[in-house]
Amino acid sequence: MAIRLARWPSRTTPTLGRHLALAVGAAILLLLLSSQIGAYDDYNLAEVAIFVIAVAGLNVLTGVNGQLSLGHGALMAIGAAARLRGPYLAGATLALAVGLPQIATRYSHVFGGEEGLTVTPPGPPDWLGADFPPERWMAWIAIAAALVTIVLLANLLQSSVGRSFKAVRDHEAAAALAGIDVARTQVHAFVVSSACAGLAGSLFAYWSGLTAPAGFGVALSLQLLSAIVIGGLGSLSGAVWGSIILVIIPALTGGLASSLSLASSVANNLPLAIYGSVLVLAMLLVPNGIDGGLRRLLVLARTRWTGAPSTHKGVVDWDDPSGG
Amino acid sequence: MLEITNLTVAYGPIVALDNVSFSVADGSITAVLGANGAGKTTLVRTISGLVRSRAGSVRLDGRDISRLAPEAIARLGIGHVPEGRGVLAELTVEENLRLGGLSRADRADRQAALSEAYELFMPLAQRRHLPAATLSGGERQMLSIARALAARPRVLLLDEPSLGLAGRVLTQIMARIKQLVEDRKLSVLLIEQNARSALSVADDAVVLSLGRIVAHDRAQRLASEEGLRHAYLGF
Amino acid sequence: MQRFIVLTLNGLTEGSIYAAMALALVMIWRATQVVNFAQGAMAMFTTYLALFSLERGAPYWMAFLVALLCGLLLGGVIERVLVRPVESAPPLNIVILTLGVLLVLEAVAPMIFGGQIRSFPAAFSIVGIKLGSLQVPFSAFDLFTLASVVFLMVLLLLLFQKTDLGLRMRASAFNAEVSRLLGIRVGRMLTLGWALASLVGALSGLLIAPTLLLYPTYMDQVLVFGFTGAILGGLDSPPGAVVGGLAMGFSLSYVGGYFGSDLETVGALVILVAVLMVRPRGLFTLRAQRVV
Ligand SMILES: Nc1ncnc2c1ncn2[C@@H]1O[C@H](COP(=O)(O)OP(=O)(O)OP(=O)(O)O)[C@@H](O)[C@H]1O
Ligand SMILES: [Mg+2]
Repeated sequence: MAIRLARWPSRTTPTLGRHLALAVGAAILLLLLSSQIGAYDDYNLAEVAIFVIAVAGLNVLTGVNGQLSLGHGALMAIGAAARLRGPYLAGATLALAVGLPQIATRYSHVFGGEEGLTVTPPGPPDWLGADFPPERWMAWIAIAAALVTIVLLANLLQSSVGRSFKAVRDHEAAAALAGIDVARTQVHAFVVSSACAGLAGSLFAYWSGLTAPAGFGVALSLQLLSAIVIGGLGSLSGAVWGSIILVIIPALTGGLASSLSLASSVANNLPLAIYGSVLVLAMLLVPNGIDGGLRRLLVLARTRWTGAPSTHKGVVDWDDPSGG
Repeated sequence: MLEITNLTVAYGPIVALDNVSFSVADGSITAVLGANGAGKTTLVRTISGLVRSRAGSVRLDGRDISRLAPEAIARLGIGHVPEGRGVLAELTVEENLRLGGLSRADRADRQAALSEAYELFMPLAQRRHLPAATLSGGERQMLSIARALAARPRVLLLDEPSLGLAGRVLTQIMARIKQLVEDRKLSVLLIEQNARSALSVADDAVVLSLGRIVAHDRAQRLASEEGLRHAYLGF
Repeated sequence: MQRFIVLTLNGLTEGSIYAAMALALVMIWRATQVVNFAQGAMAMFTTYLALFSLERGAPYWMAFLVALLCGLLLGGVIERVLVRPVESAPPLNIVILTLGVLLVLEAVAPMIFGGQIRSFPAAFSIVGIKLGSLQVPFSAFDLFTLASVVFLMVLLLLLFQKTDLGLRMRASAFNAEVSRLLGIRVGRMLTLGWALASLVGALSGLLIAPTLLLYPTYMDQVLVFGFTGAILGGLDSPPGAVVGGLAMGFSLSYVGGYFGSDLETVGALVILVAVLMVRPRGLFTLRAQRVV
């Protein structure tokens, strides 16, 4: 089941320099932003940045390389991943994601049991002043890590490795005929994505001050997955959009639920209900994710402004006129 | 009568049919000829509703069917033997045939459809309870045609029925179809790569090139037109 | 030995429930190539509806029937309203959609029915049957569970193999385009496929509720075990789903009984990975491996 929806922007001058310049610009903007907002918002900003790392990594695996995983880290260790595809991979990783927390709980002397291990986050260095908020420091670390990750991934994807990822996703047999080692490429995508997951995981532990098995279960995998689809499958900017959504919706709905005077059974579950509805509606209304939707708007706007006739309706649906 | 008027079909920027008009009278066979990529398959898929036209209409006895769903069009009596066979490989031979006969009203008539098919296609009778996946290429083509006939269509769209069939079997099938054309006023749209044999059974013929009709005449007359034969029909 | 028998009988009963869930997933996969992650939550919801009816004074079997019929309806509506519009979207989109449905159902259920853990009555005694003076570790309710799953499966088998409707449904699942050319209303068949699958799922929810107790996420593990069973069986094979579900029941029961219940899921996982290492497409897969 090749997932061939997403398109990477086909930039004509894909240079490391360009990516670096963009990253530095973003870094300056974000530093300024984080200094202007309060501690709580810095805390959320750090969360977004951490999610960006994990989501971008997963997007390389799922969006760019076409493998659907619901919690893949340990499966790679078993070495089975490259042989499974489609729903089989999804099933194996789902069972894994459910099973792993149990192992961690069982061997609690190693992993700290259900309570997990407490992690002490590093404080801001002295030269920033004694009253520098630790949340802002955390946000800076996370942003820096996210930007480095994005730059590295962007370059990777425009290299021959990235092209072979896409080739394998779009047409495995053709890629194999073209001399690409399919299994190896899939393992590479797993490695890249797991490295991102590992980085994000350790930052997450600092951010939350805790690492507990339950925190890394199916729910998190599913959240990450929904972020890449809502943001835009296979695109790095989509990973950013998806992460923002991932953090903003619970923050907004949590506030909404507590501000309305509702019965507790309703208030407690409202955020989840809204999150679920957003997933459903997003799939019905913007199937290409926020990134795809924005791109479509851009195309529309461009044809509107320049008056150029649009040759086709949009990004994907013209190659199938057989609409039932 | 099947009337096609100003039909235009495009796949994104690729225009596959460009302002095509012709009609097929009741009880007649029209051959559709043309090179690979000329738009022949697109034409029958549009008639069946599998592909939506950009402009123009398809009428069956005066009724515009071009906006109907494929299943509704099939229910009006338009049978389609798709290019590349289209048997349901997971189902048995008999189940495939039964699917064809489902539109017939009473049970006895459905049974008759089965026996008719087995009579015409002996190899199918022997394999009736095997999955269609086990059939050879030619046998699948037989099954696909038999299934379409079992529905007792008024219009039959045949997209390269000769594919994989031995000459003798094809002659038999065409004889049977000829008979239905005469007895039941069946209309047939016959797509063929082999222009010579198609023209020999057809009453009329349409020649497509790059989505346009470049010739439309009685089959016999087309077969004798030297220039056209060389330019488009390759014999 | 006695312990082994207890675990085997227990595995058989639970396995039949996982088999029902696996069958529901396989039916939907065959109809629309969708792994319906909301299947468990849908069964949870219909079981709550049964409890709701019971509390409003409905007789037990009436409540049972209400849940099954609501399952039928819910499945049909979800297919028609939510899945149909994204039919041609990439598979991942549909996965996310069913996850969204799962979250909504699990959030809405406590809003309507309350979030606390509830007990759900069993149709028959859950105490082991007495044969003479010997009490076997198999209750009347276990027997009912097994019998009702078998009964429903036989009905489905007859429907799919012996009726024209079943033939139409199978054809639609295998090849929608060819089926349309034969005049089959494929859309209706797929809706019906989802509806019937959800009825099977609803049955699994009703049958396991007395054991697991009723709360919004109680079907999550049944879904995972059912899904694992379905994958074991090859995902597009209904008999495979039944065998896979039963295999899950037995192995979970043995692992839980001999190694401790906290390793149950891990055991399931080990089995799954082991099988998939040998047969990456499950035990019973029908179609030849697609190279492309
Ligand atoms: N699904 C599709 N998407 C895009 N283009 C298509 C599609 N189907 C057909 N085409 C194009 O439309 C044109 C007509 O194709 P069509 O299949 O109708 O030709 P044909 O006459 O049946 O050819 P052949 O003799 O090879 O069967 C071709 O240029 C083909 O590439
Ligand atoms: Mg063709």
